[in-house]
Amino acid sequence: MSKAATFLNSQVGRKIATGVTGFGLVLFIIVHLLGNLAYFAGAEAINTYSHTLHQLGPLLWIVRLGLLAFFLYHAWLGVSIWLERRRARPEKYEVYASRGGASRQSWSSSSMVLTGILLFLFVITHLNTFAFHDFATITYGGVEMHDVHARLTEVFLQPLYTVYYVVIMVLLGMHLRHGVWSAFQSLGWMSRKTNPIIYSIAFVLALIIAIGFIGLPLSIYFQLV
Amino acid sequence: MTIHLKIWRQKDKNSPGKLVDYTVDDANPDMSFLELLDWLNERLMNEGREPVEFDHDCREGICGSCNLVLNGMAHGPMQGTAVCQLHMRKYKDGDTIVVEPWRAKAFPMIKDLVVDRSAFDRIMAAGGYISVNTGAPADANAIPVDKYNADQAFDYAACIGCGACVAACPNSSASLFTGAKISQLAHLPQGDPERNRRVVNMVDQMAEEGFGDCSNYAECEAVCPAEISITSIAKMRREYFNALSEIE
Repeated sequence: MSKAATFLNSQVGRKIATGVTGFGLVLFIIVHLLGNLAYFAGAEAINTYSHTLHQLGPLLWIVRLGLLAFFLYHAWLGVSIWLERRRARPEKYEVYASRGGASRQSWSSSSMVLTGILLFLFVITHLNTFAFHDFATITYGGVEMHDVHARLTEVFLQPLYTVYYVVIMVLLGMHLRHGVWSAFQSLGWMSRKTNPIIYSIAFVLALIIAIGFIGLPLSIYFQLV
Repeated sequence: MTIHLKIWRQKDKNSPGKLVDYTVDDANPDMSFLELLDWLNERLMNEGREPVEFDHDCREGICGSCNLVLNGMAHGPMQGTAVCQLHMRKYKDGDTIVVEPWRAKAFPMIKDLVVDRSAFDRIMAAGGYISVNTGAPADANAIPVDKYNADQAFDYAACIGCGACVAACPNSSASLFTGAKISQLAHLPQGDPERNRRVVNMVDQMAEEGFGDCSNYAECEAVCPAEISITSIAKMRREYFNALSEIE
């Protein structure tokens, strides 16, 4: 086996790969969130932002394909680690409890595979709602572009979709609460001193991202913008 | 004090096991949990019934032989304590305690509460050793080790290899045990020639034995009687990455 194959087949390598792909996806999520915030600056701002992204051409496709690869690999690793646990303990405990203290077992860490699968399904519907949508066009200063602003407004005025989106963003926050901290530990960037600091930073980051994504649909739905 | 016990009884690996109810109505608060089991076993033997098999040796928290899951927690409810050092004063009169063995595919059942933990020995044999010169004994302290590394190595060396980390891990991962052994030696000049091969071989052996993947739940650190930190797992990952980059 080549070194890369040995690495990616080992328990340590799989964990490091989960952390690296996770960090990549978090980076994308942060950029996506900042992009969403352009909505608050008005229709021209977000439409121009979207148009500028599309002008990137091949670079945009490289990023898209990279993201897709990261996303699929991350999901596959998560599911396979979860399947492995069933094999590693064929006979379950009659009673099982967490000791607390140093334990990081929580709603967040115990539901990673579930929140992950729901996020996976969400991304498919989300791409269908926005990325693959046949946008109306609008012209600014003689340049024709997609009217992303109108589509966002139209979608988030629907109560069902807004509720669905908000719930998923809460799940995203839960996934990142354990995920961000866990990625640092998986990459070995952890010492006894930094452990509690990183655990707290992960919570704050997850909270900011969840609130950030929930802010836009709620603002549109309640017609605050 | 009266203590109700629900103890896992299993004849052997191939027979089905089940929880059996026992009541000890004259338990002493100063008894250790293992002494409570001794007390129960004496009764059972006097009645001509088969005693409950359980592992134990030093009974002072340093040998790593005892291995009981009490009410779902490896080594019971007290932090930094092996079950032999848990005393009945921790419980109230009339409490019910469910007693189970370590459960993991890599720790096959022997009988009742006794499981085969030789998988840990095989992980050690895969790389948990150092090369030394034979012949006359070397002078003590001939190889200098600075204070920081000596302290770190000592903290990781506190691992008694009991397997509570595996028992408590939702994934049955042996990462804390393996991480502690690798980290201990990685902080010392002794064993440096084997450093890269050690981490790769021990990590491989861990998977080979059928232990699960780590999901960073840190439950292992919470139940570890030696309070080994999961930073040993982080260290193992750094060591593994460096080793694979350096090995030809």
